[in-house]
Amino acid sequence: MDTGNHKIEDKSPIKNDDYLWDRSGEPDPEVQRLETLLGRFRHDSPIPVFPLIVSEQRWAFVPSRLRLFPILATAAVSIAAIVTVTFVVHGTRPSSNTLAGWHVSDLQGNPRIGKKTISGKERERLLGIGQMLETDSQSRASLQAEGTGKIEVDPSTRLRLLSMGSGLNRIALDRGTIHAFIWAPPGQFVVDTPSAVAVDLGCAYTLQVDDSGAGMVRTSLGWVGFKLNGHESFIPAGAACATRPKVGPGTPYFEDASAEFRSALARFDFEDAASQQRAHDVAIVLSEARTRDALTLWHPLARVDDQQRTLVYDRLSQLVPPPATVTKEGILRLDQSMLDLWWNELGFDDISVWRHWERVWDGGAKTVREK
Amino acid sequence: MVHGVLLAKVPVGDVDDLVQDVFVRALRRLSTLRGNRSFGAWLAAIARNVAHDYHRQSVTAEPLPEDTANEEIPRGTTGADQDGPSTAILEAVMSLPETYRETLVLRLVEGMTGPEIAARTGMTHGSVRVNLHRGMEQLRAKLSAIPIRVGPEQEKS
Repeated sequence: MDTGNHKIEDKSPIKNDDYLWDRSGEPDPEVQRLETLLGRFRHDSPIPVFPLIVSEQRWAFVPSRLRLFPILATAAVSIAAIVTVTFVVHGTRPSSNTLAGWHVSDLQGNPRIGKKTISGKERERLLGIGQMLETDSQSRASLQAEGTGKIEVDPSTRLRLLSMGSGLNRIALDRGTIHAFIWAPPGQFVVDTPSAVAVDLGCAYTLQVDDSGAGMVRTSLGWVGFKLNGHESFIPAGAACATRPKVGPGTPYFEDASAEFRSALARFDFEDAASQQRAHDVAIVLSEARTRDALTLWHPLARVDDQQRTLVYDRLSQLVPPPATVTKEGILRLDQSMLDLWWNELGFDDISVWRHWERVWDGGAKTVREK
Repeated sequence: MVHGVLLAKVPVGDVDDLVQDVFVRALRRLSTLRGNRSFGAWLAAIARNVAHDYHRQSVTAEPLPEDTANEEIPRGTTGADQDGPSTAILEAVMSLPETYRETLVLRLVEGMTGPEIAARTGMTHGSVRVNLHRGMEQLRAKLSAIPIRVGPEQEKS
């Protein structure tokens, strides 16, 4: 075994170890070998696979074989319907103690699981996989799953438990408001909404969905990733981000930004305006931006045309100068590593955390395709 | 990150259970967290405490002979012979000073980069880079000194 006679001549910790540091530079064969051999001890939690998670807008990303999924899903729904009818007709139901699910407690009013109202002595029960929890305008509930987290459900909310266990907990929020505090490892709690997927990255947040499917996330601890159709938004603590059906997540912002800033941003994100109006909105956002609004300005770099990108670059550079290794040319051609390095200069969470999970998800998608 | 911190301190087979303990403990102590920017460092500290408690309880339950630390572990009982060189290398990592051990486990086992380790543990980039560099130097020295039996896993490469 080549156990490493490659002595490092230069004792400076900041030279000759670029590959060991961040996998940049010339690969070190010994480090690569150690990564391979020791990688077998890596945490191997089951992998959330984004292309399978949400809505019809995602099918374009899914390989043809996986497009059989709707057929299989229809069959599964049919079977579930038969089982449900059987239970109703015969007056029996599965014991909640035997099912995986979230414990429902701390009730106010009369929330329902499926068509059954939870009331009287039955003040706690289980929301099982495939079941729907619904609160009316007078009711609330609390969900808790050991090892995952706690969710407070506000009035007029409807959510469904899609899956849980094996490292991936997934619910669908059809409408209403939830307050989530998640202690599962980052990347393992996912909420599907009609217009984006919210991925927990170690945090507490509030997620709202209105009847049109439009959503809003407000992060109070850690951060949340919002993702759909190649649009990614990162929402650190204290920030908010809206999302719209068929568009996906907009640009995150701090809610203490000026009204002009927020209005222009909303038009930029969600209105199909003429290019002249769009340029006007971008100009307002740039002129109204404060230093902390660098959070907002970083996102449109990848969402504007070349001419506007130069303007965004110039303004963002004034607010938070890019690190020395980031060039204007690199940013204008949307070099991902440079964009990420600049993000890390903004003073929010390190984007490499998200990239880490993205690699895991991409690996999971590849694994599914290979099967 | 939590898995890596624990793996640097407790036997592989017990890590998964302890990961759950860390998150349960974190929830209970959430009120002690000051500022969400330090969340990673706070969680890493809880993971280290859980590992510490694990060892304290293990010692209480089953005291080891005094001379255990100096005892040479027979190669055949370490698992290295069954699992190839991976286990032997992990043992070499585990014999490093704790500071280097944790950082190297996060880098070489969990696959995190230096900037990721810094971001998620709350250490500075400089500390992580120094730990990686010096830890790797010590690991290289140990691996060159320890005769590791060549197994099928190596013969392939």
